[in-house]
Amino acid sequence: MPSVWPENPRLIGTRITRLDGLVKATGKAKYPSDMHPEGMLFGAMLYSPHAHAKIKSIDLAPAERMPGVKAVMIVGAIKPGSTLRFQGDDIAAVAAETEEQAWDAVLAIKVEYEVLPHVVTEAQAVAPGAASVFKGTGIVNNQKKARSQTNGDPEKALGAPGVVSIEANYMAPVITHVCLEPHGLTVRFVGEDKIEAWASTQAVGVTAGDLAGAFGIPTTNVTVHTEVMGGGFGSKFGADIWGITAAHLSKKAGGRPVKMFLDRAHEHLGAGNRPSAIAHVKLGASKDGKLVSLIAETSGTGGAGSGSNFPLPYVYAVPNSSRTHTDIFVNGGNARAMRAPGHPQGCIVMEAAMDDLADKLGIDPLEFRLKNLKERDMVEDGFSKPTVDRTPMYLDEVAMGADLIGWKAKWKPRGKNGDGPIRRGLGMALHQWGGGGPATNQVACTINPDGSVEMKSATQDIGTGARTIFAIIAAEVLGLNVTDITSNIGNSTFPPGQPSGGSTTTPAMSPPAFNAAILARDELFVKVAPGLNAKPEDLTLADGQVCVKGEPKLPWKDACRKLGQQSIQVTGKSSPGLASQHGGVGGCQFAEVSVDIETGVVRVKKIVAIQDTGLIIDKMTWETQVYGGVIGGLNYGLFEERVMDPTVGIMLNPDMELYKLAGASDIPEIVVRAYETPAMKARGVIGVGEPPTVSTAAAIGNAVSNAIGVRVPHWPMSPKNVLDALASKEGKA
Amino acid sequence: MADLEQKTKQGASRRDFLRGSGFAAATAVITGPAIASLDEAKAAEPEFKIVSDTTTLKLKVNGVDRTCEIEPRCTLLDTLRNRLDVTGPKRVCDRASCGACTVILDGDLVYSCTTLAISCGGKKVETVESFDSGVNSVPHAFVQNDGLMCGYCTPGFVTACKVMLDHNPNPTIDEVRKGVDGNICRCGTYVGVLQAALAAAKTMKGA
Repeated sequence: MPSVWPENPRLIGTRITRLDGLVKATGKAKYPSDMHPEGMLFGAMLYSPHAHAKIKSIDLAPAERMPGVKAVMIVGAIKPGSTLRFQGDDIAAVAAETEEQAWDAVLAIKVEYEVLPHVVTEAQAVAPGAASVFKGTGIVNNQKKARSQTNGDPEKALGAPGVVSIEANYMAPVITHVCLEPHGLTVRFVGEDKIEAWASTQAVGVTAGDLAGAFGIPTTNVTVHTEVMGGGFGSKFGADIWGITAAHLSKKAGGRPVKMFLDRAHEHLGAGNRPSAIAHVKLGASKDGKLVSLIAETSGTGGAGSGSNFPLPYVYAVPNSSRTHTDIFVNGGNARAMRAPGHPQGCIVMEAAMDDLADKLGIDPLEFRLKNLKERDMVEDGFSKPTVDRTPMYLDEVAMGADLIGWKAKWKPRGKNGDGPIRRGLGMALHQWGGGGPATNQVACTINPDGSVEMKSATQDIGTGARTIFAIIAAEVLGLNVTDITSNIGNSTFPPGQPSGGSTTTPAMSPPAFNAAILARDELFVKVAPGLNAKPEDLTLADGQVCVKGEPKLPWKDACRKLGQQSIQVTGKSSPGLASQHGGVGGCQFAEVSVDIETGVVRVKKIVAIQDTGLIIDKMTWETQVYGGVIGGLNYGLFEERVMDPTVGIMLNPDMELYKLAGASDIPEIVVRAYETPAMKARGVIGVGEPPTVSTAAAIGNAVSNAIGVRVPHWPMSPKNVLDALASKEGKA
Repeated sequence: MADLEQKTKQGASRRDFLRGSGFAAATAVITGPAIASLDEAKAAEPEFKIVSDTTTLKLKVNGVDRTCEIEPRCTLLDTLRNRLDVTGPKRVCDRASCGACTVILDGDLVYSCTTLAISCGGKKVETVESFDSGVNSVPHAFVQNDGLMCGYCTPGFVTACKVMLDHNPNPTIDEVRKGVDGNICRCGTYVGVLQAALAAAKTMKGA
């Protein structure tokens, strides 16, 4: 019989502090970048200072002669004649006794560049006669047009009598991940064919596979450790060129370990970003506010090769639509998955257009949204069947959020928010995401004769609390305290675990953890039942006791002692009904802002975030993830932007000073609520890392427009973009 | 050696130059007692010394006397992390923007990524590893209020919070915000951080 979550759990769904919290908060946790194995060398990368250049010659000899240098190498396929396609493109690497010596040696590498014309902004890339980033099938003038997707007859529907429509442009810039621990690893080549690495990664298994593949050795010869790691947000799924290079340097240096972590500028330049979004949108509705047509021509840049697509139409029912997306290539670092890839852009474009059209129709944008939800929006339950209708969920969530922000009392139409220099406004947006987890992972559970319990799998914690999730589930099943359980994760040699991306970790890992604990418990029952003159099926576990027909009979430790010399060791797999495999969550966010129309400064006063996520394992870390998602979205809405200099082709803010991120004083009141009905719990576990970051920037943008009476078409809502919009309203732009 | 002597001379003459221009002009308008204190400062000023290659640094880290070889350009952060294996403080922005490297130097909060180690000779460095972690402590409050996710910024936030509370045991939430405004968290844990600081203020008083 497949297992089911307990009906009245003791721990699951409560607020449990994270198991590894104190080791992190006392600075004692050893991150991959903190490792210093005996004999370690420091690695450093030489990367392109130019946006676009050809390498005429490269001479490593001067670097090899520098003090302390133990290994120098050219990376990847770089050779004289190679083209460097962005500032930050990797060229060569050094390992030396001290970090200072490694950087000196990098400077000593002699490279002759032939600087080529570049294109670093979307406008530059598509200008007539622009320099080409690279040649490829279907690429014209640095653009690759995707096949247009059409439903119905959007042109005809838009032109039909009585249809009210808007035509507008919206734009969101490229932003970068800014993981606080840079990309990289500390690695040791052992003997002829073994590798041990401490990697800052979201996927220990993938990283082990990458290293094995690069050296043609079996993956079993590679061990990747990630006890803790300092942020990934979608950008850390493999060994990367830097990790593989470090392993080569270690091999060249006779197996001395090498630590290779990128410097901050290199992080911004070459370690991933969220693509930009540029949209020309026509959206039309009947006079009574039913959407009839969307025509969208969109583009964006994901750098020197990556795509930039995003979902559109988004959330709402649009009977007629056409969408054409064009990838624009620039001499910039390549995009990587970033927290809900594509959705924040799609949400900005769709929700801005929804607000602008509601304004033109003279309808409350909240009502307008509810009117245009899909009639039925079926998503999966825990058995992979599309039985859950998201539309009534949205209706409930919007009602909750509207109440908490005070929409009815406070909302006023655009432009009716006062005459003084400080204007207040409200905005909202809806979002969606998957958030299920595949059923392919395993967790080992060990019960030892001394009563200790270990949960083990090759997954890792990127900050979502994976260790704590395992312990809560095991403690629930075994009638123990969460702190009685040891969770061992972050080791590629453990039973296969989920890479931490797509909000999949908790839904993918909870079912095998639950089943492992149940299997171990049942094996314990079989072993101790005879001594209690009971049948195994009469036994239960509660409050640290083995109970017979509900009566406490034997303390946990005494029961485990009866195992003698032999531990119980079992491996649990996933089973249907415990978690959603493909998810399908919704949510909504509301923002209240004040805008100083003389300076363009936006202050966010309050954000309300309503989110459904199925069965919640740990309410505390669940809430923290939603807060984090909202704050990530607030950064996208107010501050973040990769600024490129079109003339010299370099990034102007590859740091953490001019690349703006929120500090404590920028954080508004944030109200988080879980939409957790019995029907949601019945869907099983669903992840929450990504959905709550999707709609924040859109809601903030809509609130700003509501406050100042004009659309600010360019994100972020920086003083410049706000003042530009105000100037265009006054006909000054 | 001749080169070093020449540098020393240059160093000395530049100092004299500064004295002779800006300082001299200033002394023309300041009063007697101020001149006396200037003279004291001059007397207390250590001998100017050019250091090249490596030099031995002695400092007290978390109550323990430590010695290591550094170059004049080594930051305090890199010295702690790379040479002394004190890895609580993290290198993130490396430009005094994010606070992950925050340590306490002779009682003051500093960004160790932009403090030269050579300027810390004989000084006392306290890092997050040395803090009390009991039930009334700042680290404990961070855990209880989930003021951390990936945890890489956390040592810096904990250090900033602790020093803020040492100076101001009864902060308002706005004072807490100001107290940690020199720190950046990318996971977005600020809500928990602010709650943790307020909770720690309460429990520390009860301790």
